[in-house]
Amino acid sequence: MNVKFLNPFVEAAHEVLQAETGLALTRGDLILEKEAFRTDDVTVILGIIGQVEGNVFYSMTERTAIGLAERMMNEPFESFIELAQSGIAELGNVITGRASVKLSHNGYESTISAPTMLLGKGATISTLDFLRLVLPLNSECGSLGIHLALREGIQSHLKMAREETRFLAKHSAA
Amino acid sequence: MAKILIVDDAEFLRLRISKMLIGGGHEVIEADNGAKGVSIYKSAKPDVVLMDITMPEMDGLAALKEIRAADPNARVVMLTALGQESVVIEAVKNGAKDFVVKPFQPERVLAAIDKALA
Repeated sequence: MNVKFLNPFVEAAHEVLQAETGLALTRGDLILEKEAFRTDDVTVILGIIGQVEGNVFYSMTERTAIGLAERMMNEPFESFIELAQSGIAELGNVITGRASVKLSHNGYESTISAPTMLLGKGATISTLDFLRLVLPLNSECGSLGIHLALREGIQSHLKMAREETRFLAKHSAA
Repeated sequence: MAKILIVDDAEFLRLRISKMLIGGGHEVIEADNGAKGVSIYKSAKPDVVLMDITMPEMDGLAALKEIRAADPNARVVMLTALGQESVVIEAVKNGAKDFVVKPFQPERVLAAIDKALA
């Protein structure tokens, strides 16, 4: 897991949550996880492919999810109904999309999948040989955990190899 | 008043934009993926399409191409979380009238619709 991929997600989360919910966030302690992820009540999962590849999870309690959805829709939800689920999935989608734009500014082009939502506490998700960087972001509504299991994609290595070949060709010609 | 087709897989977003547009006197129709968007476009002939990009079944860029192939005058505004230069260029090359990046202010969407209708 490359730490340089973290900041775009943190910045995107701050910007999107501020715009969608008006909430200010404070960062919790960063953790590097090798073990499989045990889910909380609500998990939004997105895949990333391109010069960055892997998965991103957004994890929270149902209470936090309802609180965020209420602020996004400006209406109360008695339970985590489909409309609220759609809002939380969209939140994950927009944070990840915005982070992928920031990654592209740093030279890493990527594209993202549509979000998937996993409901239920205690499921195990393994990211196999991808280490997971976990950053809790705390707000009035509770904690939102951002889990990044990302690495440079093969396209990034191919780009570096092409640049190296061009460099060698130029210098051997000289 | 214009007839506006919202193509987005997020029910939450369709509802939010619908409320805003209906409040502004527009007629709204909805589709939850690109393939349905193309099909509804052909039958309902909306004045403007608001098109997400990342969707199941058919993504918004493919749907944009199909809609513009069926109607070269179609007015499609992309409304997406993906604001990379490469994505914007591809959308504009394929005839998108405007590109609104999420999260958005309601005024930005209304301005994009007005611009597409002008």
